[in-house]
Order: sequence, then structure tokens, then C-alpha cells
Amino acid sequence: MALPSASLDGRRLRSERTKQSIMDAYIELLRQRPEIPTAAQIAARAGISTRSIFERFVDLKGLSLATLDYAFTLGEAQAIVRDVDGDRPTRVRSHVETRALTCERWLPVWRVVVANQGRLDELRDRIRFIRQAIVKRMELMYRPELAVLPAEERRDLLIALESLIDFESWGRMRDVHGLSFDEACSVWMRMIDRMLPPTPPARP
Amino acid sequence: MIIEAYLTLLRESPQIPTAATIAERAGYSVRSVFERFPDLHALRVAATDYAFTQGTAQAVARDFSGDRLTRLKSHVETRSWICEQWLPLWRALNANQGDSSELKSRINLIRQAILKRIELMYEAELATLGATERLQTLIAIESLIDFESWARMREFSGMSIEEAREVWVKSIDRLLPPTPVS
Repeated sequence: MALPSASLDGRRLRSERTKQSIMDAYIELLRQRPEIPTAAQIAARAGISTRSIFERFVDLKGLSLATLDYAFTLGEAQAIVRDVDGDRPTRVRSHVETRALTCERWLPVWRVVVANQGRLDELRDRIRFIRQAIVKRMELMYRPELAVLPAEERRDLLIALESLIDFESWGRMRDVHGLSFDEACSVWMRMIDRMLPPTPPARP
Repeated sequence: MIIEAYLTLLRESPQIPTAATIAERAGYSVRSVFERFPDLHALRVAATDYAFTQGTAQAVARDFSGDRLTRLKSHVETRSWICEQWLPLWRALNANQGDSSELKSRINLIRQAILKRIELMYEAELATLGATERLQTLIAIESLIDFESWARMREFSGMSIEEAREVWVKSIDRLLPPTPVS
């Protein structure tokens, strides 16, 4: 017979799993249709009752925000930093491929978040946070080139690069211009390379 | 009046206006709104067409035969003015497009107009590129001068209109190839 604490841990674990399956269902629905799903739709997709959702989340707003945080954590885990110390073409390629994969996976979710930012202040905060993470990644990947620029020029370049590698920029290349994944990566790589200042010689 | 009320409400708040708020702002009854537009979707489509006509009239191409810097400044000034004026509607348009083929076709039309303007303003530089590189440059400039790019500079980075324009001028200048000698 299991000890009481063990059965409590088991219940907690099951509840956490259900919570996760609710958020997974939410994300799947967003990928299929760019609208915030109803609790009934999420419950049907997760194979649970609507009541089970509201036993774990206060309301749909709470679930939406928790799902966004969960999606961000997943996205961050998928976008591992690689080749930070590589040469310029290696860093540009690595950064672009990672960013492109993130856009490919998360564009539908991003679109819904942006479209609904007017409804929830918390969504705007999350958008800001995600954008900061995108900028931080560029600061990391292009540290040698950015270091040669004065503060204002560096800020302006980061703003321009952020626009270039925006989710919607990816969406336009793939959906409107019909570019393949590799072709779209190639646009970003070439343009980032064009915008960055020359790489300073490495210190001995 | 109804379309103007809808656009004013969008500029005041990022919330999508309801029929009741539009009617109140326009000084009409809700019934009057629906006598003129069968539903809110039809109103959105009409507002988009109205805005596109206004925007096209406001964004007359100037200086396209000027030197590089003159063309850059002219293009950025016009484009930024459009972004400043029409960003709320653009956001509403994207948020409401759903399955609407009418709204999607308007979005496509606006994007094509933006691309055509880039081609017109930087014809001299783009003509020196091969087809692939030309398309890549166009795509990059289009992303750079997107409505949301403007919004990020103004709302997130807190830049003035002049500062934000400066970012665009410098960045387009970097993306373009050298201007050929005439």
C-alpha cells in the first residue's frame, strides 16, 4: 500500500499532467485557427470536462496567460544558443536557423497574442518580454560587431534587426512570397550580414 | 460619419469597438448603423477601403528622381506618416481578418502597394541586382518598414517620430546596394 505522501505526490503529478495537456490542447487549437478557443473547445481537444479546466485555472484569461508562459518556456528550450564563439558566417547561420525554427513553430500563437494585446495588459507585458529575449539573443550572437558601435547606433541597429527577424517577416516570406524554409533563411542571413558592421579582428 | 467614428475609436483604444460604441460616437442609433451596414464585418471592410483611399491620397510619391538621401528621406517620411495615422486600423484589420477573404485581399493589396512604392523609390539601386537578390532586398525593406516595426520604435522604445525615421533611413541605406553612377 502506498504511503499517504506518495499518493498525494501521485495526485499532484496527475494534476500537473492534466494542466499541461490543457495547455497543449490550447496551443494545438491556436495553430489550427488564429482565435482564442473557448473552454469547451479546449476541454474537447484535451479529452477532459470543462469543469476540470476551471479546477486548475481561475478563468480563461488565467489559462491564456499560463499557456503563453508555457509556450515561451517551450520556445526557449527549443532555441538553444549555439556557435556564440564561431566566425561571423557561422554565428549568422546559427542565429537565423534557430530564429526561423521558432517562427515556424510559434507564428500562429504569436499572431493570436498580438491580435489580442488590446484586450489584456498582461499580454502586452509578455510581448515586451519576448521581444527583449529576441534582442538579447542578437546582442549575444553579434557581440563582436555590436561592440564597435556607439550606444545610439547600436540601439538603432538592434531595432532594425529585430524588425527584420520579426515573426510576421517570417510569415510574409513563407505565406506571401512562397519561399521555402531555406530560401527564407537565406534572405535573413544575407540581410543581417549586410546590416552588421565589419567584424573586428580577433584579439590575440 | 459611422466610418469616421469607427476609426476614431480605434485610434483612441486598442479595443475593437462594438456597434453600440460606434453608434454612440457617431450620434446615431445602433439600428441606424445596421441600416447602412448589414453587419460589423461590412463596416470593417468599408472602413478599410475608405482608409486605403485616404492613405493613397496622403502618400503621394515625391522625390523619386532625387539623389539617394533625398529619396530615402522622402520615402521614410511618407511611410512613417502612414504608419502613424493608420496603425490602429492595420491592427484591427489583422485581428479581424479571420476567414474573411475580403479583409485578406485588402491586406494583400496594402502590402503590394508598399512593395511597389519601395520599387519606385529605389529603382536605381534595385536595378543593379539579380532577380533573387532584388527580391531579398525588397522583402527585407518591407519587413523593416512594417507597421509593427514603427509601433515598436514609438511604443516600446519610446522614440520620437524623428528618431524613428532616422533608424529607418539608416537601415534602408545599409540594405540597399550602392547607387549606380548616372
